[in-house]
Amino acid sequence: MSTRSDVHSTSNVQMKIRDLFARSRELAPVWTLLALMLFFSVTSDSFLSLENFNNILNQIAVLSILGTGITFVLLTAQIDLSIATMATLGGVVAAFFTATIPLPQPIPIFIALAVVVILGIINGYATAYLGIPSFMVTLAMSLIASGLSLYLTRGRIIFDIPPIAMTLGSGRIGPIKWLIIVAGITLLIGHLVLRYTRFGRYVYMTGANARAAELAGVNTKHIITAVMAISGFTAGLAGIVSLGRLGSAQPTGLDSLLIDAIGAVVLGGTSLFGGVGGIPQTIIGLLILGVLRNGLDQISVNIYLKVFVTGVILLAALVFNIVFAGKKSE
Amino acid sequence: MANQTPLLELKNISKRFGGIHALKGVDFDLYPGEVHAIVGENGAGKSTLMRILAGVYRPDSGEMYWQGRPIRLQSPKEALDHGIAMIHQELSVMPVLTVAENIFLGRQPTTPTGVIDWKRMYEEADIALKSLGFTLDVRKKLEDYPLGVHQLVEIARTITSGAQVLIMDEPTSALSPKETERLLELVRELARQGHSVIYISHFLEEVMQVADRITVLRNGEKIATLPASVTSKDELISLMLGKEVDFFKQPYEGAVVVKETEPHEVVLSVRHLTKHRMFENVTFDLRRGEILGIYGLVGSGHFELGKAIFGLWEYDDGEVLLDGRPLPKGSTRESIDAGLAYVIESRKQGLFLSAPIYQNISLAHLNRITGFLLSTQNEVQVAQQAIDRVGVRPNNPHLAVGNLSGGNQQKVAIARWVVFPPKVFIASEPTRGMDVGAKEEVLKILRELSENNVGIIVISSEPETILSVAEHILVMSKGRIVADFEGVEVTKDMLLDKA
Repeated sequence: MSTRSDVHSTSNVQMKIRDLFARSRELAPVWTLLALMLFFSVTSDSFLSLENFNNILNQIAVLSILGTGITFVLLTAQIDLSIATMATLGGVVAAFFTATIPLPQPIPIFIALAVVVILGIINGYATAYLGIPSFMVTLAMSLIASGLSLYLTRGRIIFDIPPIAMTLGSGRIGPIKWLIIVAGITLLIGHLVLRYTRFGRYVYMTGANARAAELAGVNTKHIITAVMAISGFTAGLAGIVSLGRLGSAQPTGLDSLLIDAIGAVVLGGTSLFGGVGGIPQTIIGLLILGVLRNGLDQISVNIYLKVFVTGVILLAALVFNIVFAGKKSE
Repeated sequence: MANQTPLLELKNISKRFGGIHALKGVDFDLYPGEVHAIVGENGAGKSTLMRILAGVYRPDSGEMYWQGRPIRLQSPKEALDHGIAMIHQELSVMPVLTVAENIFLGRQPTTPTGVIDWKRMYEEADIALKSLGFTLDVRKKLEDYPLGVHQLVEIARTITSGAQVLIMDEPTSALSPKETERLLELVRELARQGHSVIYISHFLEEVMQVADRITVLRNGEKIATLPASVTSKDELISLMLGKEVDFFKQPYEGAVVVKETEPHEVVLSVRHLTKHRMFENVTFDLRRGEILGIYGLVGSGHFELGKAIFGLWEYDDGEVLLDGRPLPKGSTRESIDAGLAYVIESRKQGLFLSAPIYQNISLAHLNRITGFLLSTQNEVQVAQQAIDRVGVRPNNPHLAVGNLSGGNQQKVAIARWVVFPPKVFIASEPTRGMDVGAKEEVLKILRELSENNVGIIVISSEPETILSVAEHILVMSKGRIVADFEGVEVTKDMLLDKA
């Protein structure tokens, strides 16, 4: 964007057209999703069904909870590489205080959430106040969390898990699993906070231009610490819910979710550079990932090629999004 | 010197940029072993002339001669091949590398097998530095040395790569007095060894101290070239500004000054404010409704002072009192809530260009405009009032700020602070990069604010800006307040003189 000489240099109409164009570019991920859905509907007879959509939602539910927290972090132009192992840790701690050192329910759940939130705050403090790049801090924290999980489980699987976790993970109300409801509520609360609260506005502004945010009185250090804590919380929540899904606490169960979560969020249009994106975008990204995975199952792609094909299509979708969307200029 | 052929000669050089004549028929020559300074106001053509000498620009017309032979410099590399090197204000050293590595950047001595010969590099670096008159631990990383040393190392690098002519652009603006002395000594030493130095600086005292000849530029023309020994600072200033200058006879320190306006009460009190390597022992008072101008060159510490008072940075010593109560340091939130306002020099840093105007305006006051939940309606309403009061065009609060012209972006930055009347408004370079009309509009807004009893501080490096609004002027130089003009008639040369 240029700054030209004064007064009526760019007319109102020109600006409205430019804004419209920008918005259509933001819709690129939606086109990607629709294209994928179309493709799989055509190439597979089992894809397009209510039951299958239910399947897809189940498959991305845990990821959605993680995705909510990481959206907050990415919006401030930071990153959290520890979410997957913190999720595992959340589940492990809850199971630990149920099976190994039994405490009355629901205390184990609270302890689990407290632990991950504290770790998240440490992430935030190191990033915001000590100035260590979040990439490095959360990478280290990822190991810390992983190590704690290994230690608490002694490398074995814990089968005794909190009943609440069991319900949330495997139970259902009518045709809908609790899993989906929890995911839905998490996404909803995340969206409301980001879009409609002062805090949410501060999050966006911190990511868009941290210096300008400081000049407007935003305590960017607080904001960054807070989003890291939120990310820790959602990771823990995802881990607890996952307990129920798997029926057990596994020391390395959820580690693979890191790439999926960040990938899904970025795929939906949230920028890694901060200030752009949000929960609606994250939802689209999650659906893209879910549809892709599910669709590849439906058309019986060679099981050993699945990962490769997923990666290729992911890359293609990202390129499409970025190239179509253009680079965000300042 | 008079009998030699000039090493470098420029005749009748002209250069245009669009409609602007940066240089008009300028002559310039340089002898071996000479220190030739170029002085002039901002916009006089110094940097354009420098860049032509360094091969960055090509002149539209005129001739260049090197050792009597005509040449055309098509690129900086060609200039370097002739031995003409430029030392910029922003140095090009690598602090993470050692002194020796910096001196031999890109030209490291190698063994026959092609590997860097560290021993030889350290030895030769040592010799190079000693020949210039100073000693350093060449194995130490440059970042462990202060900025003044970085500059010396860059000069050493340039000389050892074979430069005969050094062009130095504002070399002392970031140096302490001691480092400045050391640099001036080095410049004279380089001249004694036969190198030629073209020295560009605002600091006329230094120029008088170090130069053999001084060329004065004004509005793209060469006004005069004089031997330093026959001229004076006063004469240089009058040549730079183009008129006879009448200096006040009365001294400025300790003089009794009659104020023209009725004194209001003090709203902001700055006491002994110090931030290491930026500014030192700054003390002044600001009254309600007063417009205080703080003038200084880039690097004088005045911009940094503004940021420290507002709380963007912490200061190391001293205090700031607002209406008699101490203002917490290092918190922009507390400053804003207490009634301070601040507009930064760079619009890119101060605004959210991709966000709508109303968000840029409301962000500073969200805690007062809305509750826990946002109310876009409230925000837009409040923003619209501010937009209309300040005169942002177009006045649609939903437009992205990046789409506005520079002048209007600046108005948005100011509009943020008319939502709730501030007690003190600090404007840092408020009219940078704006055309005359927009400049006037912004200054008018500041005057109106002062009429509403807001205390205004305008921090600027442009004398015209300060002189068109300020009633009370402080001049900062190298981190300290060096002059305080109040109730007297101040002219541009007086400011330049003190800076």
